[in-house]
Amino acid sequence: MADAELTERLQALISENPVLLLMKGTPTEPRCGFSLRTVQILDRMGIEYGAIDVLPALQPLREVTTELSDWETFPQLYVKGDLVGGCDIVEEMFASGELAELLGVEQPEMPDIPEAGDLPAQSPPLDIERN
Amino acid sequence: MAADLEEIKAMIEAALPGSEVAVLDETGTGDHLRAVVRASQFEGLSRLEQHRLVKAAVRSRFDDGTIHALSITALKPDDPV
Repeated sequence: MADAELTERLQALISENPVLLLMKGTPTEPRCGFSLRTVQILDRMGIEYGAIDVLPALQPLREVTTELSDWETFPQLYVKGDLVGGCDIVEEMFASGELAELLGVEQPEMPDIPEAGDLPAQSPPLDIERN
Repeated sequence: MAADLEEIKAMIEAALPGSEVAVLDETGTGDHLRAVVRASQFEGLSRLEQHRLVKAAVRSRFDDGTIHALSITALKPDDPV
């Protein structure tokens, strides 16, 4: 049974923050690769979002989100009060443009991939010296 | 303790009869896995519901600490890989 007070606090935060990320660590210092990847996508979207570091209360928060959203792993992205998903789902929705649509922003430009002709024909020779 | 990839695959297949499942060890440490699952049961479900089905199948291996992270690629029968 999840902690009732913690549940209430989390519900309040979810309703107060149109975009809220529950993550391990903070956006400037993520403590897990999946949280890092999700932060990088949100940063690319150029939106403001709230972030909660779940690590100080990992197990109690896991119990709360399992009851609230039937989801027990982190990160978790909430938009307008609803769970969108974890890193996999956020990445898929970013790639497809669904995330931009959900957030009401323009899909960010993808970085240009250099044409084959722009690349050097071969890598410069490696120079290994034996001492 | 590293996960038994064959066991994880069998658990997902048992939960989703008829599915095609590949389980990959993403870090070489046996505890950060990726499951690529193609299942007709995903038809009509949201992504959240698709992922919940896969995670529920292996929950016991999360709970006992065998698996730390499971990335999921959920495909319907007609989806390209």
